[in-house]
Amino acid sequence: MNIAEIQAYGYFAITVFMTVALYAYIYHLYKNRKDADGHDYEEYSNLVLNDDIGDTMVKPISDKKEK
Amino acid sequence: MFHWLEKNPFLFSVGVFVVIAFAGLIEIIPNFAEASRPVIGTKPYSTLEIAGRQVYIKNSCNACHSQLIRPFKAETDRYGHYSLSGEYAYDRPFLWGSKRTGPDLMRVGNYRTTEWHENHMKSPQSIVPTSIMPAYPWMFTNKADIDTAFAEQLTVSQFFGVPYNKPVPMKDGTTKVVKMGKSIAEARALALEEAKKVAADMKDQDVKDAVAKGEIPEIVALIAYLNSLK
Amino acid sequence: MENRPLEYDYTVAKMFMVTTIVLGIVGMSIGVFIAFELAFPGLNTILGSGLAEYTNFSRLRPLHTDAVAFGFTVSGIFATWFYVGQRVLKVSMAESKFLMFIGKLQFWLYIIGVAAAVVSLFMGYTSSKEYAEFEWPVDIAIVVVWVLWGVSIFGLIGIRREKSLYISIWYYIATFLGVAMLYLFNNMEVPTMLATSAAGESGIGSWFHSVSMYAGTNDALVQWWYGHNAVAFVFTVPIIAMIYYFLPKESGQAIYSYKLSLLSFWGLMFVYLWAGGHHLLFSTVPDWMQTMGSIFSVVLILPSWGSAINMLLTMKGEWQQVAASPLIKFMVLASTFYMFSTLEGPIQAIKSVNAIAHFTDWIVGHVHDGTLGWVGFMIIAALYHMAPRVFKREIYSKKLMATQFWVQTLGIVLYFTSMWIAGITQGMMWRAHDEFGNLAYSFIDTVDVLHPYYALRGTGGLFYLIGFFMFAYNIYKTMSARPVEEHELQNASPMGA
Repeated sequence: MNIAEIQAYGYFAITVFMTVALYAYIYHLYKNRKDADGHDYEEYSNLVLNDDIGDTMVKPISDKKEK
Repeated sequence: MFHWLEKNPFLFSVGVFVVIAFAGLIEIIPNFAEASRPVIGTKPYSTLEIAGRQVYIKNSCNACHSQLIRPFKAETDRYGHYSLSGEYAYDRPFLWGSKRTGPDLMRVGNYRTTEWHENHMKSPQSIVPTSIMPAYPWMFTNKADIDTAFAEQLTVSQFFGVPYNKPVPMKDGTTKVVKMGKSIAEARALALEEAKKVAADMKDQDVKDAVAKGEIPEIVALIAYLNSLK
Repeated sequence: MENRPLEYDYTVAKMFMVTTIVLGIVGMSIGVFIAFELAFPGLNTILGSGLAEYTNFSRLRPLHTDAVAFGFTVSGIFATWFYVGQRVLKVSMAESKFLMFIGKLQFWLYIIGVAAAVVSLFMGYTSSKEYAEFEWPVDIAIVVVWVLWGVSIFGLIGIRREKSLYISIWYYIATFLGVAMLYLFNNMEVPTMLATSAAGESGIGSWFHSVSMYAGTNDALVQWWYGHNAVAFVFTVPIIAMIYYFLPKESGQAIYSYKLSLLSFWGLMFVYLWAGGHHLLFSTVPDWMQTMGSIFSVVLILPSWGSAINMLLTMKGEWQQVAASPLIKFMVLASTFYMFSTLEGPIQAIKSVNAIAHFTDWIVGHVHDGTLGWVGFMIIAALYHMAPRVFKREIYSKKLMATQFWVQTLGIVLYFTSMWIAGITQGMMWRAHDEFGNLAYSFIDTVDVLHPYYALRGTGGLFYLIGFFMFAYNIYKTMSARPVEEHELQNASPMGA
């Protein structure tokens, strides 16, 4: 098998894989609407709308109280 | 299922990189395995021609002039045979350009002479009255950098195996040897020898005097390069 | 001191805002000048024939492209990153002395790099590869600046409070990775001083010279893989990062569909990199690559329009804001121009269209729809939104901003219409044959006909530049305008008369 053949098979396999992954992702987004933490994806818009340093967080990285 | 990708900055970055690197891997790397071989008749550039090529690059001639003839009747009528991959085997960097504000120069050596270039570079409008090309008077006084041209020859022969001082096949079945100096002094002498031939066809007295004194103005090197484009 | 509430620290953002404006003026002024040189060649010797070497079109052209791409645009990307990054991660630069130091170091190295780039291009030190003209010492400086930016991005992400990464952060990360990969591979070069002659001499000639690692067709392939995707990762990806932050924030509207933004992201990442081949149609690169470039360019409409439509729909039901606020106008027009140029590009990538369009001014026109309309307007809007917040002042003049918008819009329209006509006219004339099968026009005929369009293009560019000066003045005056209360800054930016 020369490099051109490896290239051709590699191209085909990865393209198929990526297409399947992308469509699976689309399906996942619109079917579940929420990520695994239970947040609706659309809530993430609030990351911009409430972005002052004292604003409520969408999902804090820890439960430590802000002082 | 996709959560790890959305939340972990590191895995996310790896994911992005894989997706964007994929095209390059497929498109570029295999083509390099079969790097373009020179076609018969394509020979490496001489020291003076490389110096001229550097003048061409220094002044970004490629901003307005392409060196790529596409396989259309209109283009082959105007500029000659369409370009072949192997003809560019010694072009580092390639000078295809992306805009034809002026005409293509891929085979300009076939239909323009030293004298034509001399007049044209001094005053394009003296030859083409409505030309929008600027004049390049400084090329008649600036000296070509032969040492750097020699360094470039050495680099391509040492790192990329460009065949200097070796017979290269020509279209008519004969072979040609493009010489490269063994030392800086020899390289300068070779370039000067070639420059004298170009200067013999020129009219500018200052350029002729400079070459007689052993100096090589940029214009002489540039014309040597342009004449080599065939 | 300890009791002061924590605030975002915009020191580095402010520094890059200044370079965005200064380098924008430099790059665009050179652009207008060289545009008029094509219309009126006498300008090539405007400072006398002694200095003509430095005022000549060919010497200035790389300076124009690099000043607007790596000066204006990249500064704008850095400025907005050091603003947006802190806010959506809810962490202040003031919290990390290390990141503050890295940010400032990045800025000063960037300034040194810009100075070296400008001087070396004026001197004629160029590798001749478009948008990668810099010689190897400058390349190394650029890589260092880029790595420092990477440290900033991942450092800030490392100390973030907000766990989720907002979509803009995704785009900034992609910008960082994409440019790093492209730049490194395209600038692989061997400095010629490394070679040794048979006589044992080394370090011969200029040390500011190098040879590309790739030859001929391969070099072209790598260059346009880079050239096209530099457009992707400098003129598209980070600009989308900006609009996903600034448009929702300024209008107070949630993004129309956050899910769509995630999808478009992955679509764009995958498809964009393939499209570089469309710069090489009918050249000597393998046919399948040309075809691939063509097809993927057309597919690229989908993710591009995904983002653009998402932006326009964000304004759904809020169109009165477009009428009321010149700042929103800038962003809405930017998305519109994004849609326009991502439709125009694929059309030009179709082989039969490309046969006419390639090598002509239509391509130049296409680039400028994108850069003037989309990139320029978005960066201007971003800086206008940031100014009241980083300086705690209201924008000096709303009226001036509105005037600027219309002057620049007129400039863009003049620019792209003249270049369309010029490009298609010249492309058709090049290929025209008379009844005997001879070429109908000599090359100079096809140049003469362009004169009015070149003059018109220069005028369009001049309008845009004048607008940019209004912008610079407005920002400058904002620094001394009426102070505003913190709480007014939530959404719509405060503006003076």
